[in-house]
Amino acid sequence: MTPEIEITGLSKVFGQGAAAFRALTDIDLTVGTGEFFTLLGPSGCGKTTLLRMIAGFEAPTTGSLRINGDEVAGKGPNARPVNTVFQNYALFPHMTVAQNIGFGLKMLGRPRAEVDTTVAEMLRLVRMEAMAGRKPSEISGGQQQRVALARALAPRPRVLLLDEPLSALDLKLRKEMQSELKRLQSETGITFVFVTHDQEEALTMSDRIAVMSAGRILQLGTPHDIYHAPADRFVADFIGDTNFLTLPVIAVSGARATLTLPGGQTAEAILPDGVAPTPGQSVTAILRPEQAILTEPPGATLTATVRSAVFFGTDTHLHLTLGDGQPFVLRRQNTGDLPVPEPGSIVGLTLGPGVLRVVRD
Amino acid sequence: MARAYDVRRLPGFGAIALLTFVLLYLPILVLVVFSFNAGSSQSEWDGFSLQWYAAAFANQQVQDVSIRSLWLAAVAAGVATALAVPAALATTRVSRFPGQTMIYALINQPLMVPEIVTGIALLICVAWVKVNTGYTGMGYLVAAHTAFCIPFAYLPIRARLETLDPTLERAASDLYASPVQAFRFITLPLLVPGIAAGFMLGFVISLDTVVITEFVKSAGQDTLPTYMLGQLRRIITPEMNAIATLFLALSLVFVTAFFLITRKRG
Repeated sequence: MTPEIEITGLSKVFGQGAAAFRALTDIDLTVGTGEFFTLLGPSGCGKTTLLRMIAGFEAPTTGSLRINGDEVAGKGPNARPVNTVFQNYALFPHMTVAQNIGFGLKMLGRPRAEVDTTVAEMLRLVRMEAMAGRKPSEISGGQQQRVALARALAPRPRVLLLDEPLSALDLKLRKEMQSELKRLQSETGITFVFVTHDQEEALTMSDRIAVMSAGRILQLGTPHDIYHAPADRFVADFIGDTNFLTLPVIAVSGARATLTLPGGQTAEAILPDGVAPTPGQSVTAILRPEQAILTEPPGATLTATVRSAVFFGTDTHLHLTLGDGQPFVLRRQNTGDLPVPEPGSIVGLTLGPGVLRVVRD
Repeated sequence: MARAYDVRRLPGFGAIALLTFVLLYLPILVLVVFSFNAGSSQSEWDGFSLQWYAAAFANQQVQDVSIRSLWLAAVAAGVATALAVPAALATTRVSRFPGQTMIYALINQPLMVPEIVTGIALLICVAWVKVNTGYTGMGYLVAAHTAFCIPFAYLPIRARLETLDPTLERAASDLYASPVQAFRFITLPLLVPGIAAGFMLGFVISLDTVVITEFVKSAGQDTLPTYMLGQLRRIITPEMNAIATLFLALSLVFVTAFFLITRKRG
């Protein structure tokens, strides 16, 4: 991986003295060239501040920020090979679509002919050729989004920053733009840094994700890693749906622990790095709703009582109570017109190998 | 439900509204009507005539003071607007700083200090400068009118800036525009309605002001309003009505333009 953005020891404090607010703490991060990288976290986690610092709208309090090997911490946004797609698009209302797209190249002092050629190419890339002469107020939200993308891509930045660009679109348009963004990224080969609070969007689009909370990066990894091996309880809770079970430890061997399940049977759980519980201690283990399989009670790993069932079409969510009273949600895929268990009935659950995982609290 | 709170349904509302409009417009209407009087009375109608307009247009003094008023207003409003733009930028496009409200109040001094106080203060200062420099030109009036016009130019520009999304300027700098280019290509074009409105308002204010001019002017520097005031000390003929009506029409043009500009928002 060739590093495109290298961030080391970056912190940001707003205000001074008693009113000081620490927005980012000790961020270390490397984004590779051509990567689709996502900053994911709830609002107020610092993801937008980090993006704004890469863009140059905020100066870091401490730390270094390199883009393509150059230290940019002291440079203004107009001196960085980085362009931004703003959350509200920020299209220039007094300029046409074509003038908006050509603005960056014009400011870079490129010859008129080159500007015109690139603008035409960008209009084609985002399929907006017919709208070149319109003003931003005369096109729809989805079209404004495409123009904002084209405007940011036109100067061929090394890095494209996207600040929750899809949040203002309705669901259908959002899905469309997600694949559009992936297409644009693979066609241009430009490094994308994408900010979102939508975990599904992050999972489906990213090569790697940094999950952030309270100004820190909690976990950095591929969507697969983050979903299946969350670093702690926060990440497990924030990404996807999860059942948290409090279970006693019987034995520990290397990176695995044997836990007692409600009802007395045992199961192997994976331990995260640096977590070594002692037998007798209780730990928090996670199990995704789709990782338990519904069976008949005889021979099952666990038995549970059905509290309610919610039919979603593709799957049915069963809200269960385990033998020791802990709640559990199970997602059963509707592979056919399967019967829905009655509330009050007893069902069995079996666990696939290696699905149970201990998380740091 | 909203109808229950309709102020128009309150008893006496119609009568009060009517009375207010009568007080506002009836005297002006009388002034305008008698400007077309064939006779020289302000109270007896002798038939329709444009003779007082003809007299006003032929009056060399009226011509002189009108031209002086117009160019003074144009220069004062122009300079005030040019000063108001950076002032508005400096009070809106910056992170909040201590004393910001204070500065806002200081810029708007002419709105707070009674005009007669400013007039007397200027009279004393201008007299002192005149004695020490010997200069008696129009510079004093230009300076006084400019200072007086600044808040009127500043307020609409500031109002326009406050409705402009600062993300636009950020987007411009993200797209490699220097601060000067971002101002030239983004802020300034979007600010034009505010600047035009500020100029119009400043122009009308300069045109209308009597007190400041009265205290600052030297001999032979009458503007239209101070000339009219001077003439009123003599016999009033409907020629004054005609001049006032024309003056009113001119003010209305600028005020209407101001409203049209501020109403149309990009």
